[in-house]
Amino acid sequence: MNVAIDVNAREDVPAWLAYGTPVFTVLAALAVSAVALQLLDVNPLAAYATMFVETLTTEFGLTETLVKAVPLILTGLAVYLPLKAGLFNIGAEGQLIAGALAGTWVGLNVSLPGLALVPLMFAAAAVAGAVWAGIPAWLRAKWDVNEIITSLLLTFVALEIQSYLLRGPMQGGTGNFPQSARFSDAATIPELASGVHAGLLVAVAMVVVTYVMMNKTRLGFEITFVGSNHEAAQQAGMSRFKVYLLVFVVGGAFAAMGGISEIAGAQGRYRAAFEPGYGFTAIPIALLGRNSAIKVLLAGLFFAVLFVGGSSMEVAFGVPAALVEIIQALVILFLITAEFFKNYRVSLDFDRGPSGAAVEPQGGDD
Amino acid sequence: MVSFLAGLLDATVQAATVLLLAGLGELISERAGVLNLGVEGMMLVGALGGFIVTVVTGSYWLGFAAGIVLGMLLALVHAFLCITLKSNQVISGVMLTLLGTGITTFFGSAWVEESIDGFPQIAIPFLVDIPVVGEAFFRSTATDYLALFMVVVVWYFLNHSNLGLEMISVGEDPEMADTMGVSVFRLRYLAVLIGGGFAGAAGAHLSLAFSQLWVPGMTAGRGWIAVALVIFAQWRPRRMLVGAYLFGLLDALQLRSQSLSLTLGPDAPLASLVNPVVEFLMTPQIMGTYPYLATIVVLAYAVIRTKSDRLAVPSALLQSYSRETD
Repeated sequence: MNVAIDVNAREDVPAWLAYGTPVFTVLAALAVSAVALQLLDVNPLAAYATMFVETLTTEFGLTETLVKAVPLILTGLAVYLPLKAGLFNIGAEGQLIAGALAGTWVGLNVSLPGLALVPLMFAAAAVAGAVWAGIPAWLRAKWDVNEIITSLLLTFVALEIQSYLLRGPMQGGTGNFPQSARFSDAATIPELASGVHAGLLVAVAMVVVTYVMMNKTRLGFEITFVGSNHEAAQQAGMSRFKVYLLVFVVGGAFAAMGGISEIAGAQGRYRAAFEPGYGFTAIPIALLGRNSAIKVLLAGLFFAVLFVGGSSMEVAFGVPAALVEIIQALVILFLITAEFFKNYRVSLDFDRGPSGAAVEPQGGDD
Repeated sequence: MVSFLAGLLDATVQAATVLLLAGLGELISERAGVLNLGVEGMMLVGALGGFIVTVVTGSYWLGFAAGIVLGMLLALVHAFLCITLKSNQVISGVMLTLLGTGITTFFGSAWVEESIDGFPQIAIPFLVDIPVVGEAFFRSTATDYLALFMVVVVWYFLNHSNLGLEMISVGEDPEMADTMGVSVFRLRYLAVLIGGGFAGAAGAHLSLAFSQLWVPGMTAGRGWIAVALVIFAQWRPRRMLVGAYLFGLLDALQLRSQSLSLTLGPDAPLASLVNPVVEFLMTPQIMGTYPYLATIVVLAYAVIRTKSDRLAVPSALLQSYSRETD
């Protein structure tokens, strides 16, 4: 008997598949990660109960989630926006750091009342992040130099500069630690409610701005058009150069605001390891929420829950919080696997004749 | 000065081997048209796996082999996603780095306390007595020699073997290769798996020969430098040898720059102007940016200069291939 696997492109995606995919991928990632927990002799159900139930039902868990969500949402937007124009910004981490450094410098060296100082810190951060993102954007827009590689490499440049500044010119506080001096009260982002700083408002505002820009303005239309077919867009009189530069520069500014929010809102000073790579987590966030800025917000909140829950799990069970990284990676790996089944219909075909016209992506493999 | 130079060269060789192994693997994968940004994760998996096997069995060669196998295992996921499922290579690669980092941190914490003897150093008679360079180049671990040998192997494989030439054709023009009867899928799988094996070997060398211990995240961005190195080398094995030693030298200089005095004497003209600049440029962290900046410059220069089509980037890099024509 002749058994063949047929793979055909789907005409349209059934609704259950479209809406079920994110849920399915998250559940699959949790299921596989449960094996990892079991291998370290930890009961996965108990660990997940700590991770999610405790985070979502205690005041501490909820405030921490909102605080962590601020940089995650903002860096998520920094990846999301270029993605809409068909570009890959995997350097949001570097833009976050560049912005955080510039904003911190202003916060430590300029004396103004808080109402003026905090916005000035955000502005300085945004400019630095925009410049940092502008380099790969310009190289891509002008010369077609691959923005994926350059934005990534600039992240490592930013990390080295951060290390230089915190051990040299910007080093402060007691001891010889790689950290800056503490912020004054004026340079600290005020709290909205107990434990939640006003950076959350900035993040939500930027989500709204992005949403309106993408869905209600001509600019958003141009970005989407260039993203889907830049040659046709250019024939329609749109400027690919302008769009490429814009999505990156605005994205970089978003990531930078995420950086300074975390430092001036949650940390109180710049520490060398003040964040666990939010700019890299931004990639799964943007991929999970790539259909709209609102979904980026939701994905950011979800990953914030993971981060907070991961820390509680580490304390309660003594297992490394690195499980969170495994879950994040698996969510996206399952997501891109699911994309395939969303776009192609796979079916088993028995007794297929030699004249079967089905498409075999495995080609001459078998 | 002589001992400084000898020490510097020794550290350069050690740093270069890691980059060379990982870079050669990435080069093969990219020449076949598959970008692998999971190198860092594959190196970490190889480093931890190799370390555990060496601690348990006492054999560093078994550990080295385990590192290669584990690197290939993670690469298999990349191959399946990018080649069979035609997923985005960038997404898959970045996520595999994240996965490799997560897995090794999660399972590796128990092994941080262990220590091993690691690969012994082999001295080549007579050559080792050459002043300055002898100790650095001719008293090394077997894996250092292996990495150098691999440059020749990869160069020969890609330029003079049928399989290698087919592999390059798959990375340049998969449709044409398919028409000529070359199996695009099989060769891309092979290239990605070889690449993963090299990355795993680089990681195993790192934990077994270079530092002889395991620390989470011990690759410290070397996988990304390897990706940069491939561009810097313009996808050519021999240039990669030069690039790996250049980047290795920068790495070695970073740790020693403080003891190196390149500043002008206080009476020299312009000393007050030049010296602060030199001192700044020789700061270890600032030197740490050079490999990345150099790669950006080389990449930009190559792209801009070769608008006239001389860039060596494989034409079908990042493109998944399917036989569907409609």
